[in-house]
Amino acid sequence: MKQGSENKHRTPAHIWLCWLLLAGGSLALWPIRRGIDRHAGGLGEHAETLYFSSGKTLRALSLGHAGLLADIYWTRAVQYFGRKRIARARRFDLLAPLLRITTELDPHLLIAYRFGAIFLAAKPPEGAGEPEQALQLVRRGIVANPGYWRFWQDLGFIYYWDLKNYKMAARAFETGSKQPGAMVWMKAMAATISAQGGEFRTSRLLWSEIYRQAETETVRRSALAHLAALKADQDIGELNALLTRFRKEQGSEPGSLENLVRAGYLKAIPLDPSGVPYVLGANGKVTVGAQSKVERHLLPESPPPPGADS
Amino acid sequence: MIQRIRTIAFHTFKESVREKVLYNLIVFALLLIGSAVLFASISLGIGRLMLVNLGLSSIAIFGLLMAIFIGIGLVSKEIDRRTIHNILSKPVRRFEFIIGKYLGLMLTLLVNTSIMTGGFYMALYYVERRLGGEDLLPLEAIYFILLQFAIVVGLALLFSCISTPILSAFFTFCLYVIGNFLGDIRWLGQESGSRIFEKVTVLLYYVLPNFSDFQVISQSAHGISVPPFLLTSGTLYALLYVTILISAAILVFEKREF
Repeated sequence: MKQGSENKHRTPAHIWLCWLLLAGGSLALWPIRRGIDRHAGGLGEHAETLYFSSGKTLRALSLGHAGLLADIYWTRAVQYFGRKRIARARRFDLLAPLLRITTELDPHLLIAYRFGAIFLAAKPPEGAGEPEQALQLVRRGIVANPGYWRFWQDLGFIYYWDLKNYKMAARAFETGSKQPGAMVWMKAMAATISAQGGEFRTSRLLWSEIYRQAETETVRRSALAHLAALKADQDIGELNALLTRFRKEQGSEPGSLENLVRAGYLKAIPLDPSGVPYVLGANGKVTVGAQSKVERHLLPESPPPPGADS
Repeated sequence: MIQRIRTIAFHTFKESVREKVLYNLIVFALLLIGSAVLFASISLGIGRLMLVNLGLSSIAIFGLLMAIFIGIGLVSKEIDRRTIHNILSKPVRRFEFIIGKYLGLMLTLLVNTSIMTGGFYMALYYVERRLGGEDLLPLEAIYFILLQFAIVVGLALLFSCISTPILSAFFTFCLYVIGNFLGDIRWLGQESGSRIFEKVTVLLYYVLPNFSDFQVISQSAHGISVPPFLLTSGTLYALLYVTILISAAILVFEKREF
């Protein structure tokens, strides 16, 4: 009788086996999954899949939740862009389709047009280097949101900065200045670009305006980096002019910027916007130092600093 | 009569609560707050927009599921359990039973939606650290979501009187999906070139419940107010449709043998 009672309370062997399989199986899943991930070369390709290529189809299938889907697609576009940028990728194949789907799902998602255009237009590895796609995106934004004047500012900016098409840039700023609620400086910008084309002052005005309007830290940092690069570019131009003068007057190569100081052409070696002294490059032109925080790829001409591998 | 309908409605509400339906609300609120914070950190510039879209869509989807899955059992469950005999042996008329059941589930959904709305506004306050006048706009979308629920519960109740719970759920969900595509169905008919097909699609367009007019979540998230005409006509449309559905359910239920 007692033995029977003990048997009744004893956990059957198959239950223990089930617990063992459950725990063991769960523990084994992790290394197996990691092993598969390590050996599956197609994982990157998998991440590059769009699944749906039409925002309009997705919109119809969303059963009234297109806004939420647009937010998800915008987040996907941001994540995709961020991942590619960190990896210093040169190709951003899915960026334009992701932005198109996002804006087809929610044509009023202004941020997707504005930042999406910045992502698309910037040169690799800062962006996709597809300014034409950026123009298309902003134009779609204008059609869907005709009252939003800032799209004209974005359009003008892409023409000015990325395509160096100053005539079209001036026209975009001019059209934008006529939209209701447009800032007064839009008209000034159109006039300045028409008169001076690609001048430092104009570029600085544009980037300062973007910095002032920036709603996120990413855009603010990007604007600051461009402003720093513009200042460095201007300084480098002036220093190169001094070098030319030195060669003409002294009839020899300066060898270093210190010699310019010794010869009285400079009071001291100037510092770039990140506080690092400029240096004379191997090709005899001034450039930013190896320690400089100025983003080298933003400079129009950036000779390697002395001692650099290249 | 009013007293009897009220009693049935109250018992339907109590039964729904007893089914632990309301527990999902806590999960919903936690998910909402958690995902709002998460999305604010992994996205760019859409913290509030995402919260409003996610919050309102969750309210709509959770509520829709409840409307369908509780609605399909409103009558069939009473028949299966044979409790219908007890109820109808009392001085309760069949139409009172149907109206009471409908109102009871609507009360459940109203309480449910109110709690979810509370969770939504708590999350909104957590993200924005303030609540302003523009934050009242999502209430318009929530009102439209409730109008959708009213029609869906009507459909579920009607099918519950006719068919089995599984088929009722299937029919109700299919009609909800079709109701979101009625504009496309009508357009297909116009494009087909067939006069008969065109007439059929026009008939379907007017007869089946049109849910696409109630989809204002995205507009609300962008701070666009629902025009007063749409607000009034949407309310009238929903009320009329619910009246038709309940009338049909009563007619079917009156003829039903147990």
